[in-house]
Amino acid sequence: MSAGSRARADRRLVDAGVAVISAVLIVWTIVPLYNMVRVSLQDKDDVFSSSVFPTTSTLKAFQTAFHESYWLLANFWGQMATSFYIGITVAFLTLAIGTLTSFTISRMRIRQGWMLTNAALLTYMIPMSFLAIPFYSIMGKYGLTDNPLAVIAVEVTFATPYAIFIFKQYGASIPHELDEAARIDGASPPQIFFRIYLPLMAPALVAIGTYALLLSWNEYLYAFLLLSSDSNITVPVGLGKFLNSDEAPWNYLMAAAIIYALPPMAIYYTFRRKMNSGLTMGGVKG
Amino acid sequence: MALTTTIDNAALTPVVSRRTRRPRLAGADRLWALAFATPYAAVFFAFVLYPVGYGLWLGSDPASYLQLFADPVFPSAIVNTLIYLLVAVNLKLVLALLLSGLFMRKGRWMKTLLLLFILPWAVPGIPSFISIHWMLNSQWGLINNAIWELFQTDGPPWLDNSTLALSSVIYAHIWKWLPFWTIIFLAGRMAIPRDLYEAAEVDGASRISRFIHITFPLMASLYFVCTLLSTIWALGDFNSVRFVSGGGPALSTHVLATLGIRNAFELGNPALGMATVLSALPLLIPLVILLMRQLKKGEVEL
Amino acid sequence: MTRLSRRHTIAGMSALTAAATFKPRPAKAAEPVTVWWTQGYYEAENQAVTDAMKAWEKTSGTKVNLTIMNGPDLISKMIAAMQVGDVPDLVHAVTGDRFLVPRAAWDDKLVDLSDVVDTQKNEFHKTALDSSRFYNQALKKYSYYTVPIKCSTLMEEVWRPLIEDAGFSDNDIPKTQDAYFDFFQVVQDRLRGNGKRIYGLGYSMATKEADSGTLFHSFLVAYGGAGIVAPNGKLDIDDPAVRKAAMTALDRLTGPYKKGYVPPGAINWGDVDNNNAFFAKQIVMTPNATISIAVAQMEKPDQYYKQVITQGIPNGNDGKPVLGIVSVSPCLIPKGAKNIDGAKELLKAFIQPDNLNKYLKETRGRFLPVMMSNVKNDPYWQDPADPHRPVAVDFGLIRPTMPWWMAYNPAYSAVLSEQIWAQAEANITQKNMTPEQATEEAVSRIKAIFERFQIA
Repeated sequence: MSAGSRARADRRLVDAGVAVISAVLIVWTIVPLYNMVRVSLQDKDDVFSSSVFPTTSTLKAFQTAFHESYWLLANFWGQMATSFYIGITVAFLTLAIGTLTSFTISRMRIRQGWMLTNAALLTYMIPMSFLAIPFYSIMGKYGLTDNPLAVIAVEVTFATPYAIFIFKQYGASIPHELDEAARIDGASPPQIFFRIYLPLMAPALVAIGTYALLLSWNEYLYAFLLLSSDSNITVPVGLGKFLNSDEAPWNYLMAAAIIYALPPMAIYYTFRRKMNSGLTMGGVKG
Repeated sequence: MALTTTIDNAALTPVVSRRTRRPRLAGADRLWALAFATPYAAVFFAFVLYPVGYGLWLGSDPASYLQLFADPVFPSAIVNTLIYLLVAVNLKLVLALLLSGLFMRKGRWMKTLLLLFILPWAVPGIPSFISIHWMLNSQWGLINNAIWELFQTDGPPWLDNSTLALSSVIYAHIWKWLPFWTIIFLAGRMAIPRDLYEAAEVDGASRISRFIHITFPLMASLYFVCTLLSTIWALGDFNSVRFVSGGGPALSTHVLATLGIRNAFELGNPALGMATVLSALPLLIPLVILLMRQLKKGEVEL
Repeated sequence: MTRLSRRHTIAGMSALTAAATFKPRPAKAAEPVTVWWTQGYYEAENQAVTDAMKAWEKTSGTKVNLTIMNGPDLISKMIAAMQVGDVPDLVHAVTGDRFLVPRAAWDDKLVDLSDVVDTQKNEFHKTALDSSRFYNQALKKYSYYTVPIKCSTLMEEVWRPLIEDAGFSDNDIPKTQDAYFDFFQVVQDRLRGNGKRIYGLGYSMATKEADSGTLFHSFLVAYGGAGIVAPNGKLDIDDPAVRKAAMTALDRLTGPYKKGYVPPGAINWGDVDNNNAFFAKQIVMTPNATISIAVAQMEKPDQYYKQVITQGIPNGNDGKPVLGIVSVSPCLIPKGAKNIDGAKELLKAFIQPDNLNKYLKETRGRFLPVMMSNVKNDPYWQDPADPHRPVAVDFGLIRPTMPWWMAYNPAYSAVLSEQIWAQAEANITQKNMTPEQATEEAVSRIKAIFERFQIA
């Protein structure tokens, strides 16, 4: 056997391996998502059917969710608006606080910068759900029960440390000479921050903004504990209400869930390049 | 983003004349630094230090721990937590490391596959976990329906047996978070200089030996940090247990995070709930110290 | 930013002006009442409370902020809210009589509602009243901390067509405890012989929510364990009769499960899952806390009138009726509520016999009235043409009943919350303990719980 044909056989083997792994990955990824779609396309009475494919494919559940014409979906768009309000505010505040802090630490070189870094690092290492119990009490003391601001506060708290690290890392690629030149020209720190630092940080801002939005879109526990009235709850909390009804309107639940999943998917796929590079800024050094 | 678009390029040109060239007052700078650092400091005090302190105080009653240790659910939750951390985290990261190698391959197919593969991470968690919960229902779930179609036999009782139920939770966790860690490792691999591999290829090193001698040594500290971080996060993972197994059957798949919430808000004893969560500290603190030390070394920055 | 600060300035100035002119605060009745209500199993239940609140808003001129939450969530959120003291003004919690009120009353976290109860004291059913008194450890006395709104006792639902498929008729269903539960195992065997994937017995054995506890305790009473807690709050679990009843109940509940007569998933069922399994015809019979299963089928006359049988619990093995344990869905006012007066006014109006009757009918009679006059004055409740409601009225309001033991000692609420008996069932089915061992373990845990609740 010649070296060339061995290499060719080798390559064919690898290709076959890749094909098999790809097939497994596709099935692995798709099955739970397919189940969502399958349930959403079914008739309410067919939820317990023993089929693998939807028995009666209908988009009725999506129409129902869209028009809020089922009692458990009566405020679906209101909940969606709350989810957006929380998600966007969290993204904005995370960006604002994260950039200000990272700017202070790495560009202004204050002596106490390490304290901020350590504070962020420490927060980063608290398992999020572990603080749910004290958080509830504390929001009561701040007068923020049943107020979306409480959920925003929690999510900003847990999103900023990551933001600070990424910004610090990304900011290292911006030459310090730029600041110094501006300084020599008499620019004040806010001017440097707004005119030099932020514009050059744009890709990292996009990445972290998306990250913060996805984080808040995933949140259930805190939203469940901290929000109660119909006008204040988010979509995941509203979906939770479905699980305690005498009917099994799970086609509506899944249709609503799929609609809820669309915005973050759209945002992710729009920004995915910046997202992937932004989130993994550091990687391995050296 | 909104911030950057409002700034026009002209504004970048310094408008201040050169007369103000003398060194600026350090005092003003310090004030600015203070002002810039205030928002995060405020967040940290109001929403980290205070809750942590309050939580520690809430969980400081020895009576809570006596009650906790007397509860037969508690030891099983500890064991479940350990299994969950060891199996879910490590399996997930090994798979992620291997898959990141797959996605290093060039070509449109890999790009497309990656796009699809990322879906579980981009889809919000709660709907996915509810879907997995239904999919695994032993009487009418998708999986057992398929098994019935194919083999005319009842599939395993996925969520009605404690071992299978814990495995199902682990599966859900891996499904949801595998894409995220794969991307992290993918970036790590991309940072490895190409010429190292090329040199090795010239020397006739096999795929496996290239992985062992180049990829892994260079990725090792990243991998280690990811393991620590993922362990800490998985320790606080509430959603996958809550929505996939619900802690059932018979409270046999609770982990500390869900048991804490149960004890606090179902049994109506917040102090007991806090004690439950705090009982993870002997595990959490060494992890945090290790991770701190690793990150301080500066080899890896996340 | 500027708008915000301007608004602040204006607010500050108006506050100053108000202070300067000593403007009196608006009358208290005008302050809104915040109400939390347990979500219904179907839309009509929610509509009924929304309507009732709107009606009261109109007559009283007070605004009501109504929030409807599902049962387990509402209780969790109440526990959290009471911990902080930031609470709603009025709460209706469907399983609150078991999982929320007893320990909240013990901890002095509820407003004494004796004055509200007094306005209708002669109207209330005796067991409903008995179920509303709880012990307050701070004041060292029992008092009315809830107002009964609706109640229920355990009912049994059966698919008639499935019984007939097995070659039986209604009259073949035995009337005594053991024979009754054995019967459905025979039905299953016959139906399986016909090639059906079906289970004869569809009861919850889950360590969550209320259904499994309701059934276990009904078994406990049927086997002679009603005296597990004495009216003075003392635990009598060492009484050999009680101990034996508990063991028999565990044995009789877990035996069929181990033999495959109960769906394997039943150890994971929430309170609605037996309903869903029943609708999907995966089970022949199911015990249920209310007649919700039948009621949800009202639009389908065939099912409502012909296919679904509603029965009360079977008699004891000696043929004598078994005391039904009454679950009362209460209203309560947590301490720290901002508008206690408004909440009490709302409650007093709501429990006018006619108002309460109207509300319960709008919920389609899933729950029973707590006032006998409702039943006597309104033919709706005993309508002979209805195959379900009169049965529930008979078993819940006319036959002898008893309150849950939480009314005697809140410790029993912790026993239910911690799911001690359901865990004992799981110890038998999952860990292969004998009923004796499982009973012993449960007893020692129950004793430990009662240690924490000593009534002086």
